[in-house]
Formats: sequence, structure tokens, C-alpha cells
Amino acid sequence: MERIFLKKDLGKNLEEYDFLGLKNALKMQPQQVINKIKESGLRGRGGAGFPTGIKWETVFSIENDTKFIICNADEGEPGTFKDRFLMENLPFKVLEGIIISGYATGSKYGYIYIRGEYVEAIKIVKKAIEKLYEKNILGENILNSDFLFDLKLVRGAGAYVCGDETSLINSIEGDRGKSRIKPPLPVFEGLYGKPTVVNNVETLAAAAEIMSYDNNPYSQMGTEKSRGTKLVSISGDVNKPGVYEVEFGKLTVKDIVQELAGGVKGEKIGFVIPGGISTEALTEEELDVPYTYENLQKMGSNIGSGGMIVVSSQRNHLEIVKNVSDFFRDETCGTCFPCREGNKNINKIVSDIYKRGYPTSHEIEIISDIQYAVSSAARCGFGESSLNLILSIFEKFYTKKVEV
Amino acid sequence: MKVKINNREYEFDQEISILDATKKAHIKIPTLCYSEKLEPFGSCRLCSVEIKGERTLKPACVTKITDGMEIFTHSQRVRKTRKTIMELIIASHGINCNLNCLTCSKSGSCEIKEVAEEIGVTEIRVPPISIGLPEDRSSYSIVREPQKCIVCNRCVRKCSEVQSVNILTIANRGPDTYVTTFMDKGMGNVDCTNCGQCILECPTGALHEVYQMDQVWAALSDESKYVIVQTAPAVRVAIAEEFGAEPGKIATKQMVAGLRLLGFDKVFDTNFAADLTIMEEANEFIERFKNNGKLPLFTSCSPGWVKFLEHNYPEFIDNLSSCKSPQQMFGAIAKTYYANKLGISKEDMVVVSVMPCTAKKFERVRPEMKGDVDYVLTTRELAKMFKLAGIDLLNVPQEEYDEPLGISSGAGAIFGATGGVMEAALRTAYEVITGKELEKLDFEAVRGIEGIKEATVEIDGINLKVAIVNGLGNARKVLEMIKNGEKELQFVEFMACPGGCIGGGGQPIPTNNEILLKRMQAIYEVDRSLPIRKSHENPAIKTLYKEFLEEPLSEKSHELLHTTYLARS
Repeated sequence: MERIFLKKDLGKNLEEYDFLGLKNALKMQPQQVINKIKESGLRGRGGAGFPTGIKWETVFSIENDTKFIICNADEGEPGTFKDRFLMENLPFKVLEGIIISGYATGSKYGYIYIRGEYVEAIKIVKKAIEKLYEKNILGENILNSDFLFDLKLVRGAGAYVCGDETSLINSIEGDRGKSRIKPPLPVFEGLYGKPTVVNNVETLAAAAEIMSYDNNPYSQMGTEKSRGTKLVSISGDVNKPGVYEVEFGKLTVKDIVQELAGGVKGEKIGFVIPGGISTEALTEEELDVPYTYENLQKMGSNIGSGGMIVVSSQRNHLEIVKNVSDFFRDETCGTCFPCREGNKNINKIVSDIYKRGYPTSHEIEIISDIQYAVSSAARCGFGESSLNLILSIFEKFYTKKVEV
Repeated sequence: MKVKINNREYEFDQEISILDATKKAHIKIPTLCYSEKLEPFGSCRLCSVEIKGERTLKPACVTKITDGMEIFTHSQRVRKTRKTIMELIIASHGINCNLNCLTCSKSGSCEIKEVAEEIGVTEIRVPPISIGLPEDRSSYSIVREPQKCIVCNRCVRKCSEVQSVNILTIANRGPDTYVTTFMDKGMGNVDCTNCGQCILECPTGALHEVYQMDQVWAALSDESKYVIVQTAPAVRVAIAEEFGAEPGKIATKQMVAGLRLLGFDKVFDTNFAADLTIMEEANEFIERFKNNGKLPLFTSCSPGWVKFLEHNYPEFIDNLSSCKSPQQMFGAIAKTYYANKLGISKEDMVVVSVMPCTAKKFERVRPEMKGDVDYVLTTRELAKMFKLAGIDLLNVPQEEYDEPLGISSGAGAIFGATGGVMEAALRTAYEVITGKELEKLDFEAVRGIEGIKEATVEIDGINLKVAIVNGLGNARKVLEMIKNGEKELQFVEFMACPGGCIGGGGQPIPTNNEILLKRMQAIYEVDRSLPIRKSHENPAIKTLYKEFLEEPLSEKSHELLHTTYLARS
């Protein structure tokens, strides 16, 4: 598969990197940059899929001397490692995206918040930031323009919930990593109460790439609602796990598994988790779905973070459910009742099911009710999506099979 | 702006929260982590409502109304969600055979029970989970039972937002999140003031006072002991609430009768000791004022406030009045003057206090004045004892306090409300300084429920600047202002609890603003109804000085009625 936007292997060597995206941006007015991003149809690549241009425009339109850009590099979704790939292999593209978003929104300060476990990525990005300061691509009068931008790296302490933008902001401020009540949205009152853009690593890298073209090939790609390309990280029972760039709508989930990842290891596919463990599982029969936001949503699942996990039919599904539930039990921040108590209680029920080897219909009913309540009333995206996968596996594999 | 609530149109002129809007529309939405005195927190999610066009439910406490908003407070999705959340809360609340509602401190005032009923929970389908944390019994005043805690944060927020004491915090994360004190040291080993505001705030039985009911029952059954009781001013205007009466019901005489029925040998009034406190404190103030002593003078009746100052502002210790609180003065007089009169030894006398306060339990054991009082009961504990003894408080024949330690003035009574000590002191100080009779007894300027009140009182051509402060958060503000030279004051009354003793940590639950105001009205009604309204006109006090103490600030007074303090920082 040809890499379209991330095709240039301009890895870690600054001398070879052209910063064309940033140079183009600095020649334009901020609103023009925003327009170009809007035209590209770029949606946030962290999981929520919010249109990036609109987010930038909102912050740009707020008058405030201090605004912030935060690059969310707290990639913690199990099975997702495309941000790590980007930071380790294309650090300058990521940083370029941050600087461009700063320029477009009128922000002079940026943070890149990298999860603490990404030791290598932290080293590389740190060095890259230092080099950019040396080369006058960060700091004052960037590339001889009158644009000023400072960037700081913050290392996460290891809480998955800090991937939620408000938890991440709390964490940077030195508070507990727990979600804030929205509204106010971070674009209005974010870091230190100032207007703040929080974008995922991949989103910003894509923005840099989009800006490097005079025309806008990005908007020509994909489907109307899912434009451009997406980095998919594939792991699990496949022959060629890794990070692949996929043009939206060109391939089905099955194609991605079979053609890009070399097919399933083992007898046959049991199920595929298409976008990290916050997204619902797809059974083998459901895999012919084109890889787009809208098509996966139609199937009751989601693109999520793009972390695709393939599970062979030979695996014990309950073991996976137990693993996933353990993860969410441990990682809920504990502030809102539905998420804290829901994940705790479901974990207890799932442990019982795992020990026994099958669920009762009563247990599936309770799990379904808890998922309904938690996804309706939790305080942040973590809670909202924490029980989706677990419930989908029970619904798809156990409701008909088991009756006690 | 126009808002539709459950398909009916309402108009509001302000951008208020959905919760406030529904309240105005007389629709009740269940809440647990919400409290009128605290910043909305949005964690229990029981107040979640459906809003047309929104993907998920929104918490009514932290979501503001917008023009054209369509809100559904009890749709099927809302009902189903609330019910499940409530099931989860109950499952984690530590209910099993050993730890059930029957034995809980909040069995009669349990908020989660009330909310569960509102929501219509009929079964708990999830298995109970216990966090298995030990009880915290390190404090003389407050017990924590973490297994009953639902981590709503209200105690943490009350301690921080209202009291600015900050001894409670959240530890760990996720399901292991729990409420604790600094380094898990326990309430007795941190800067807790024992004010008990956390108990009032707790919706479950996770916090309650250290009970002394059993010890009091034992003393009452011990025939070799002469057991006397004193009741604080704020108890009489609150205790009837525990028996279903409206807040503000005065039940002094019923309570006196009830105490006799319990078997106390004598029933006395802390108001008597309050009058005594005024005699000493007003004279202390006059002396400091005339002799360029340390000013402003700070009142010292509230042990929660005293401990707060000892921990946080030791530099102001000399500003504290050296007067013991009325509770302790009562004990000291009872065990000397009164015991002598009876011809019994101090050891055979047991002094019990009924207080609206949990900090009094700590004050009792302070080494500076240990032995004055033997046991302290809160208003709630006394109600429990009445119930246990089958005393139908609202219908017992009304009786009067015993003499002489039951004789008191209206000035003693108003100690129960914020501003009362100041007003009582001013009534006496005015007449002592001027030698003239005070025409208008009611100092309206110092009354009311506001946290910080200031007034200038003219006595004999001198303008006296006074302030009345309730709630420790407000105390901190005023102390900071005095420290920075932004406030020049001569006399300040401080009370640890919002509203003063009527809002004390030992009072009936719920205690909210509406209830506080009713109790306060009742306090001033008690004052108005009394024939004597000035401490120095109390005949029993006059006799006490004549027979025993000689005069205010005498050597004897200093020995028995004054104390010292401790820098605790």
C-alpha cells in the first residue's frame, strides 16, 4: 500500500526536512490556514473525530493574549501505537503540525504531552525540539517571520485517562489526572483557564502534510464524511502487525487484515476490534465493511484511535474480556460514580464468568444495563466507551449460546 | 430565556443551572454529590437529564440552561440510567449482615435511602463489593467508617470550601479511590478542628460523632454517682426536629422533663454558664481596652474555632480570651461551688453536657481543663437516648430547670446563634462601662446568618469596632485581613460552624440554610420571652460571685474559669 501523506521517509534528520508546510502557512493569514484545513475535511485522529479546522477556528476567534496548543501524545489505547510510530520516525512532522496550529490559532505556547511509557519517543522528540530551537524554527521570529512560538515537552505519569483532553490539562497543571466537567470546553477555557486546542499527534502530522501541498489532494481522497487517510496500527493474531496508512473507503476491514497485515495467524478470525478496546468488536461476518467513520458507525462500532486488534477464533474470548475489563477497572479515574462503580462491578461479574467459563443470561442483562447507564451518564469519553467492547462480545457471542 | 421542561414552557431571566430551573418548576431531581453550600461537582450523575439533541445525558447540577432547551427530567432513559447507578452505589456501600441500616448512625437521616426511594430501586442485582478499609477511631470527636463511604466528596469539599481546614482528601484512583486524611494518619492526628461539619454533609453513615451514650447510661445506673446535666442554648431549638417537629420548635421544657425521666439528678442550663462567661469576658475586654491590652479580643467559646487558631494562626493566641467556654465553666463551678453546697465530693459527681457540637468532645479532654466535664452528648445522641427510653418528647409535661445552675438570662440563650456572644457581651459591657441602663437591648446589626458581619457600637462616646464571624473559611479571611492591617477591630466573635451553634456539627440532620434560619428565629424568641435579658442581672450569677467568686477576674475566677492555649503548628 502506497503511503500518500506520510510517504516521505524524512525521519530524524533535520537537514533533510523541508518544513514546507510551516513555510507555506507563514506566507498565509491564519484564517487562510484554517480554511485550508477545513477544506481538507481533516477530523481529529484521537478517537472522537471532531473536525480539526472548526476547533482551530474557534480558538482563533477568541480574543485572548494567552492561548495554548496541546499535542495529545498520551496514546494509551491498548492496541494503538501509530502516534509512537509518528514521534519516533517523523518527529519533525509532528512538531511542524504543532507550530502550524499555533500560528493558525494565534497561540504562542505549545505543549506536547507524551505518555511516560514512551521512553524512546520522549528522547527523540526532546532532541527534535532542541534542534528546532537551534534552527530558529521554535522561539522568536520563526523562519524570519514575526511569529513567536514556544514548545515544551511534558511527560505523562502513566494514567490512561489522561488521554481525555480535560484530564490531560489537569495533569499538565499538576492536578490529579481526572476529567473536568464540560462545559466549558477546552477551546473556551482550557489550560490555566485559557483557550486551548488539544489535538492528537496524528491529526497535527496530517495538518502539516496538508499544508505542504499547494493544491489540496487530501480533500480529494476518501469519502465525503471520511476524508484523507488514516494510520492504522494492527496487532494481535496477524502475520504482519504494524502501522499502515489507509485511504478511507478504499479498503474494507477485511482487506486491511488480509492484505496489509498478512492475514490471521491461526485457523480463522474470531473477531476484530477495529479502533482500540473502546470500540465494539466485529465478527468475521461483519468484516466486509469499508473502512470509514460512517460505515463502521453503521455497524455499531467506530474508527476510534485506529488501533485494530485481530483475535483468532482459537483464543478464549472470555480471557480477552477479562483482560479488557481489568484494564478499565484499573484505569477509571474514580471521580464519577457510573464509571467508577460500573467498571468495578462489571469486573467482578466478568471475573465470575471467566472462572465459570460461561455467562448466565442474567449476567448479560446486568452488563447490558450497566453499559447503558455508564455510556449515558459518565463524565468523560473514557466512561462513555469503557464497556462497549465487553458488551459487544457478550452480545455477539454469548446471548444465544448460553442459557442457565 | 424560554426553556421546555417535560414539554411545559418556562421562562427564566438568568442563565441558571438545570437543577435550579427544575427546582423553580417544582420538579425534584435526585442528587447525592450536590449540596447547596458547595460548588457543584457533577460526579454522582444521578441528576442526569435528557436534553433534546444531545447524544448523552447531562448532569443538571453543572449544566446551564440555554434558550430553547428542551429538558426531560424523568424520561425512560433517565429513569433506567438513574436506577442502575443507584444499584451500583448501594452495592458498593458495604451493606451486609454485619453492617446494615439497622445499626447505622444515619438510620433516621440517611440520604441514600431517601434517594433510592425517590428513584424507585427495588432490587440490587450486582454483588456487594467491600473496600475493606478499617474504621478511623483516632479522634475524640469524629469516627469515620470508610466502608460506608460512597466517595461523593462532600465532606472533602465542605472541609475545604466552607471551613478552609483541608484535612480530608481523596487518595488512590479508580475503584480504589477513598476518602482519607493526610498520610492516612487519622482524624485525631491531623489539623482537624472537630467541627463536625463533615458529619452534617455526609449522605451516608460514613461519618459520625464518637458516641458517649453508653457511658452516660452507665453513670445514670450507678447509684453511687450524683449525675447532673447541662444543656447548651442551641440544643433546645433543634432537638424537637429529631421527633418530627418543624425546625424552629422550642422544646426547652420538654427536654428538661425528658432529662429528668432519663434519671439525671439535676438538670441545669449551660445558659447559666454563658452568663458567667459574659461576666468574665466582658470584664476582660474592658480591662484590655482600658489598659492597652492585646486587642482585638477574640471569643473562645467555640472549641473548633480555638483549635483552628492554634493550628493555623498561633501568632494570635494572645488575642484569644482566656475565658473557658460556657461548657467548661459550668463543669468547673459544678464540681467546686455546687458540689460543696451539696456536700458531695467531686469524684462522686458526674457532669454531662448536651451540646450541638462535636468539638466539645475534644474540648472536654484538653489537658488545660480536664476533669471539668465527664461526658459530652450531641443533640443527636440525646435524641437517641430519649427514643431508647421511650420518651415521647413532644408530649411530656413541661418542666423547669433546677436552681441555681439552671437560672439564666436571655443573653445566655443567644449564645446559640452567630452574633449572640457579641450581643450578650455588649449588653453587659455597656452597662458596666457607662453605669447607665441600656435602652435598646437588641443589637440588630450583629444578627443574621451572614458569614462576616461588622458593626460600630457607641459606648459612652467611644466607637467600638466589632465583628462577628461564623464558619472557619470566613475566620481565615478575617484573620488574614487583621494580619495585613486591612481591618482594625476591637472585639471579634468567632464561631467554627456556619450559623454558629445552631448549625453545629452535632445538630439534627439535615441542617441547611432554611433550617438554620428557623432555629435562629427560635433562639431570639427564647431571649425575648425571658424576664432577665442581661447576664449581670442574673440573680444566680450575682449570688455565685457573692458567695464564691468574689468578683469577675478575681483570683478564684482565674483559677477556675480561665485557661491557656497551645500553639499547634
